[in-house]
Amino acid sequence: MTSLKRSAEGDTFGSNISNKTYVRSTRSGKVQKIVREVYLRTDIPCSSKLCKACLQSAPRNAANEVQPFVLSEKPAGTKSFPQGHYLMPDTNALLNAMDLFEQSSSFYDVIILQTVLEELQNRSLPLYNRLLGLTKSEDKRFYVFFNDFRQETFVNRDPDETVNDRNDRAVRQALKWYGQHLAQTKAKNIPAVVMLSDDQENLRKAKAEGLHAASLRQYVETLEDSDKLLDMVADVQSSGGFKKPGQMLYPEHFTTSRMMTGVKAGLMHQGIFNVSPYNYLEGSIKVPAFPKALLVLGRENINRAVDGDLVVVEVLPQDQWKEPSTKIIEEEAITKNEGADAEESQDLVSEKERKALQEEVKKTHKVKSEGGPQPTAKVVGIIKRNWRQYVGHIDPSSASKGSTQGRRMDNVFLIPMDKKIPKIRLRTRQASELMGKRLLVAIDAWERDSRHPTGHFIRSLGELETKAAETEALLLEWDVQYRPFPKTVLDCLPSEGHGWKVPASTDDPGWRDREDLRNLLICSIDPPGCQDIDDALHARKLPNGNFEVGVHIADVSHFVKPANAMDTEASIRGTTVYLVDKRIDMLPPLLGTDLCSLKPYVERYAFSVLWELNDNADIVNVRFTKSVIASREAFSYEQAQLRIDDASQQDDLTNGMRMLLMLSKKLKQKRMDAGALSLSSPEVKVQTESETSGPIDVKTKALLDTNSLVEEFMLFANISVAAKIYEAFPQTAILRRHAAPPKTNFDELSNQLKVKRGLELRSDSSKAVADSLDECVDPKEPFFNTLVRIMATRCMMSAEYFCSGTQSYPEFRHYGLASEIYTHFTSPIRRYADLVAHRQLAAAINYEAVHPTVRSRGRLEAVCKNINVRHRNAQMAGRASIAYYVGQALKGQVAEEDAFVMKIFSNGFVVLVPRFGIEGLIRLRDLAEPEPDSEFDAENYTLKTKGSREVTVELFQKVRVRVHDEKDEMTGKRGVKMELTSA
Amino acid sequence: MPLDTSTYSLALLRVDGRRWNELRRLHAQIRTQAAADGSSYLEMGHTKVMCVLTGPAEQNQSQRRGQTSGGGGSARDTASINVNVIIAGFSSVDRKKRGRNDKRTQELEITIAKTFSSIVHTHLFPHSSISISLHVLSSDGSLLAALLNAATLALIDAGIPMSDYIAACTAGSTSSHSASDDSADPLLDLNTQEEQELPYLTVATLGSSDRIAVLNCESRLQVSRLEGMLVVGVDGCKQVKQILDRVIREKGVQMIREGAVDRSDTMVMDLDE
Ligand SMILES: [Zn+2]
Repeated sequence: MTSLKRSAEGDTFGSNISNKTYVRSTRSGKVQKIVREVYLRTDIPCSSKLCKACLQSAPRNAANEVQPFVLSEKPAGTKSFPQGHYLMPDTNALLNAMDLFEQSSSFYDVIILQTVLEELQNRSLPLYNRLLGLTKSEDKRFYVFFNDFRQETFVNRDPDETVNDRNDRAVRQALKWYGQHLAQTKAKNIPAVVMLSDDQENLRKAKAEGLHAASLRQYVETLEDSDKLLDMVADVQSSGGFKKPGQMLYPEHFTTSRMMTGVKAGLMHQGIFNVSPYNYLEGSIKVPAFPKALLVLGRENINRAVDGDLVVVEVLPQDQWKEPSTKIIEEEAITKNEGADAEESQDLVSEKERKALQEEVKKTHKVKSEGGPQPTAKVVGIIKRNWRQYVGHIDPSSASKGSTQGRRMDNVFLIPMDKKIPKIRLRTRQASELMGKRLLVAIDAWERDSRHPTGHFIRSLGELETKAAETEALLLEWDVQYRPFPKTVLDCLPSEGHGWKVPASTDDPGWRDREDLRNLLICSIDPPGCQDIDDALHARKLPNGNFEVGVHIADVSHFVKPANAMDTEASIRGTTVYLVDKRIDMLPPLLGTDLCSLKPYVERYAFSVLWELNDNADIVNVRFTKSVIASREAFSYEQAQLRIDDASQQDDLTNGMRMLLMLSKKLKQKRMDAGALSLSSPEVKVQTESETSGPIDVKTKALLDTNSLVEEFMLFANISVAAKIYEAFPQTAILRRHAAPPKTNFDELSNQLKVKRGLELRSDSSKAVADSLDECVDPKEPFFNTLVRIMATRCMMSAEYFCSGTQSYPEFRHYGLASEIYTHFTSPIRRYADLVAHRQLAAAINYEAVHPTVRSRGRLEAVCKNINVRHRNAQMAGRASIAYYVGQALKGQVAEEDAFVMKIFSNGFVVLVPRFGIEGLIRLRDLAEPEPDSEFDAENYTLKTKGSREVTVELFQKVRVRVHDEKDEMTGKRGVKMELTSA
Repeated sequence: MPLDTSTYSLALLRVDGRRWNELRRLHAQIRTQAAADGSSYLEMGHTKVMCVLTGPAEQNQSQRRGQTSGGGGSARDTASINVNVIIAGFSSVDRKKRGRNDKRTQELEITIAKTFSSIVHTHLFPHSSISISLHVLSSDGSLLAALLNAATLALIDAGIPMSDYIAACTAGSTSSHSASDDSADPLLDLNTQEEQELPYLTVATLGSSDRIAVLNCESRLQVSRLEGMLVVGVDGCKQVKQILDRVIREKGVQMIREGAVDRSDTMVMDLDE
């Protein structure tokens, strides 16, 4: 029998093969051992422009091109390395201070090791992506050196060595090799290769081997603008490993395996931690096991969770269950006098916080209302932090008085713009300069012995309250991609630029399979001044008495080809974001406002949905086609309305619009009969003067028949397209669903209506909700119905994009529109989902082949996930922008307005001012000085004050408030303040 | 977890450190099973397969009915080739047990049987059958190619006349779907991770010629990339052929030296060392 053992190697790689063994655990909890081959080689270049040897053997791609070398021949020097230097950070250096590497004054010529890149990818995907971005930027000169594939720098893990130790050793080995290798170049000034690490042990070993190494802090101190940069060095390692075990304020988090076992056994629950907008000490977590959200009350139970984190909680015994708080607790107000320096010495729960919470507990013992107490829980561990960069400003009261002089290291508190985020402690030498500015910061850690999370400063956006700073702040806060389009994206645009035209000859490939609809009387109806015209319509009477109606949508997919740079950018942006004075486009403006935009008097490519409808607006026939159209006119809603109403206008275009209006009313009636909801959110429009762009007036949006005309046909087109693409791609159609809200969502509102007005809110179906909302009227107060609708809207789930294969058909339902199936098709210029739907529809009608990205389920799911987030963020950013401008419009003015009470707490209430569409909080202490005593009747939603001022406020009540803006001297923050003038 | 295939463009290095046009280590042995008519063992990287061959032998009833028989006209006047692929449960990471009727396995069997039916001189052995048993011990990409190569070696070991070697390998492309990315490089000899993340095809040629015997592609790919991939694949097949040929020759030399076979005039092999 011949042995199967491997014979001596005779082939090219010979002994240069190694194996890499690692284990991974799968989603189902299995552990897999994976062995992978590694081919070691000697032709991986150092990529230094000084080195001629590597250039000769440099690898070539299939087109026989050599990759250009990256590292400069004359890198910058520092005080310690006047001869110039290359940097070689280890993983922790990148994890702690990616911001440093990204800034432009230093940190050039950086060698990123494969070992480090791999480790970073495992530790933090966002950082990994940022690092890849850096390696692609030409001016930063970041080079990825695949040390694990180069024979001399490959390091095998010793039997008793940890993975970390092995990686550290690999970094040092590469450092050593680079030093020796560069020495061989015989250049006049051989740059030093410097390892950056925050690991004391690694630094010590490197120095013992005679290698250049420095901690981030040490290195930054030798740079020119060290003061500024030192702030960006994360706070964690400044204390090094020598921190004496202080007093632990928070309970320890469980280990991951303990949490996993607990969750599996049903003893613990996993969910996203949400902080109440009215009470920073109250959070809630929705878990499948409980119908009501679990409450997490108090600092100790919250145990360092931050809004958005994925946490694991343990439910508290039933005798500790509580009602959700009926009290406003604001962090700023309660902790405003705490110094940032002195905090370690304090107890975890300050006396004031304890008092604030105790009153809560007392109350819940006393009152017993409908819902009964809610289950409470405590956070035992955090699976995944959802920390991002935060915008905020320094609390001036937290800075020590001396800090206005010298450059002493100072501890200050940063108050984030997002009220749900706790104050962040920063260490800085430039407190006095940062005061009064909008700042961008990151949280580094939240240790057990620190009351507040610690973070570091990234950059300043500018003076507080300046328009530039505030606009950038809200874009950052809502993660809107607002940087200019990169060159790679602009390269995808048609080379003709604005000169592009629909080809005159119908033999041109652009005309392939396109219908010529230029003879149709098509027009568009949009808000005034709209530049990105997505849609246009037409209608005409057919000889058989039926109507032909066409919805024509900009043919964006003709210009944006799948998976090119422009498509990738658009898929990341997900949507165009509309701010009051600014639009952040999803696609470059050349397309959005010109080539795709269905402007009047020019020919444009379109994607048309054409129906034949009978008198009753029932579909006789529907078809979809790519087309060429020539819009006759671009109307604003008002212009269109005027023209329709003007009986003297009897031309075909106007008559077409009348037909559309008539049909749209029938469509709307049908939708309403099916149970579509007409919900409401306070909508206002800020009018700005074009030149100064300062707000001059705030108006509530008026709704005309023509608004609903356009809306109806867009809904109609979306539904038709949804059915078509689902038929063609049952597994991968991109659709939009709106889940029915759980019944409990309406509990509170329905109880409120019953108690206060004797009205009934039925929530068993969308039809029942719609009907009962119609009945919620107060003959004396027309706004009451809108108010209830606004409050009902907040009980709803949010609609979401999804890939049809991920849900069963009944789940496709769009609750709000009462449609079985729905998608977005009609705004491809400003929504990415629509663009995907266009591509799928084009494939469904055999216009073009299906591109793999359009039907790869995994990719579509990722796209849906992203655009769902982007969509919500865009809405929030838009609202924040309006709120800011409303504030600006009110600046220096005092307005007395009607307002309605939306929510009542034991120490204050929330009112909505319809004219400005803003909500404001009025606390007891705002009513009078000294703060009046109060009696809160939770069952009847009534708050009665006594003493210094006597008023009775109840839910849904109409009150008069004085609205003005006010700068809080303590925090330097300007905000809209409301005062109650009469109840 | 190591990096994925998207990092190729950073330094023109694949996930295992190879360049775009490099084969993995290919190691092969023949006559590993003395009791069999023909046998071989072959490794392409971590893909390890073993082949045991019986025949040509007179067909018995059970064989006539059972197993996968590859084309080759009526079983009467030519030998039928039966291929049986057994994938060991431990051969892949997920340790999934594959049944006898696993569709993927059957597809492999049919492809291999058809390929060899067209190049083995089956008309020389009427009423008989050749049974090829292929055992997958470890699977790390390019499985079909490895099976074809191992079967070639076993057929030669059994001394069954055929027109030429079948030499097979896979070829892929570095870019998964990006349409405008013209810089995509073709890749040779993909491992499992690359097969999972990138488009690829399996190609087999007749000896060192450009004649393609097998071309199998199950992934979506841009037509414009097909040509480049095919060129690299055919080129890889030539390299594979060289290696297989060397294995055969070395074994032949060794056998003659050991006196296992007589040095005869009909042997035209060049035995000079
Ligand atoms: Zn070099």
